[in-house]
Amino acid sequence: MIYAIILFVFLASIVAIGYYLNQRTPKPEGCKDLKENCEGCKIASCIHHPSYRKEEL
Amino acid sequence: MKLLTIALSAVLINNIVLAKFLGVCPFLGVSKNTKSALGMGVAVIFVIFSSSILTYAVQYFVLVPLHIEYMQLISFILIIAAFVQFVEMFMKKHLPGLYKTLGVYLPLITTNCAVLYVAQDNITKGYNFLETVVNSIATPLGFLLVIYLFSCVRERLDYAHTPKPFKGNPIGLVVAGLMALAFAGLAGII
Amino acid sequence: MKNFKNGFIKENPVFCLYLGMCSTLALSTNLNNALGMGICVTVVLVLSNAIISLIRNITPDEIRIPVYIVVIATLVSVVELLVHAFIPSLFDALGAFLSLIVVNCIILGRAEAFAKKNPVLPSIIDGLGMGLGYTFAIVLISMIREFLSTAWVSLYNPFNMSQLIIRVGIPQLSKYTISLFSSSVGAFLTFACIAALFAFINNKSKEGKK
Repeated sequence: MIYAIILFVFLASIVAIGYYLNQRTPKPEGCKDLKENCEGCKIASCIHHPSYRKEEL
Repeated sequence: MKLLTIALSAVLINNIVLAKFLGVCPFLGVSKNTKSALGMGVAVIFVIFSSSILTYAVQYFVLVPLHIEYMQLISFILIIAAFVQFVEMFMKKHLPGLYKTLGVYLPLITTNCAVLYVAQDNITKGYNFLETVVNSIATPLGFLLVIYLFSCVRERLDYAHTPKPFKGNPIGLVVAGLMALAFAGLAGII
Repeated sequence: MKNFKNGFIKENPVFCLYLGMCSTLALSTNLNNALGMGICVTVVLVLSNAIISLIRNITPDEIRIPVYIVVIATLVSVVELLVHAFIPSLFDALGAFLSLIVVNCIILGRAEAFAKKNPVLPSIIDGLGMGLGYTFAIVLISMIREFLSTAWVSLYNPFNMSQLIIRVGIPQLSKYTISLFSSSVGAFLTFACIAALFAFINNKSKEGKK
């Protein structure tokens, strides 16, 4: 049980750190506006949906 | 011989999209043109292959020795999520060229059900290491094949007169159904 | 109440938003699996919406997605272990798809679109509406497919698979069944036709308003 909790906390913190660091890493030159649209589903609030970026502009 | 059977079955017969229905969302979402379909397919191969090896190691070197196999689902999904983040970060910093072509697809893959499925499938089927390697290359290869074929059809589909309610995803699903029919015919190979 | 009704027709998560397609296609071969999956998804969705809404004020914005993934993965593990312990036949039938609820886009989608900015009670209602909308969709497809491939629609007691609860069908048609509909081809075609029907209805009602 104790191992399970240790593993859980360890993995969760790694994911959180990974997400945080990845968001802070700037994109390389020429990739700023590079984004792949996904129209698989129709959630307009999804960051990958084309209509999400239209609202931003 | 067993390895060949695993590979053929994963690519053609038990194709991950057409027979197992996994990864249908990116299959429909990122297949508007052949270029993005190819990019997505290659990115999926890379992520599934490396994360399967990683989860295989965690299963047999951490979970089984500590007798906490019930943590499998949580640890696998967290490992995959963390892995994709670190790969994206690494690409941004050191491989900007590769990031340009493949990096944009990485955020789309994190919640792809195919990745978690392959990782679990290797464990439930009791594959050894070599079989795991073959299975985790062949399965996403099947995804690449199908999404590429589908995007080719879809580029033509834009010029066809589709009934209005069928426009977009419904006609795509009909095409996928017909492709599933064609792939079902390959079941006799093995 | 409006959120609740929206989940069925206008914003049906499966047919209109195209969420959770993978499990809908795969588990709609018969009514039993479909109903079992629908209930599992609804339970996870209601609980995850409630928890995410409860912790929405203390979740740092940068790492909200990993927090959601951790919450959802924990809930799904709990549900999976419970089903394994109490309804083993359903566990075997659903197979890998039970654990794949984690990556079902309905759940993460609702957390991101609704639960993160609304209080607890509306989030629970939204989860219930969307979950039942999903259940409705998967049950509808499964009934059509089971009927076309066997001429019967039957529901068994999940705790004891030999006990039949209800069985409806047209025995005269049993010579003319289309076995194609129990395979993956049938899943794609049935889904496409129903999604087109929903698009047709929604287009009509939009034109009516104009």
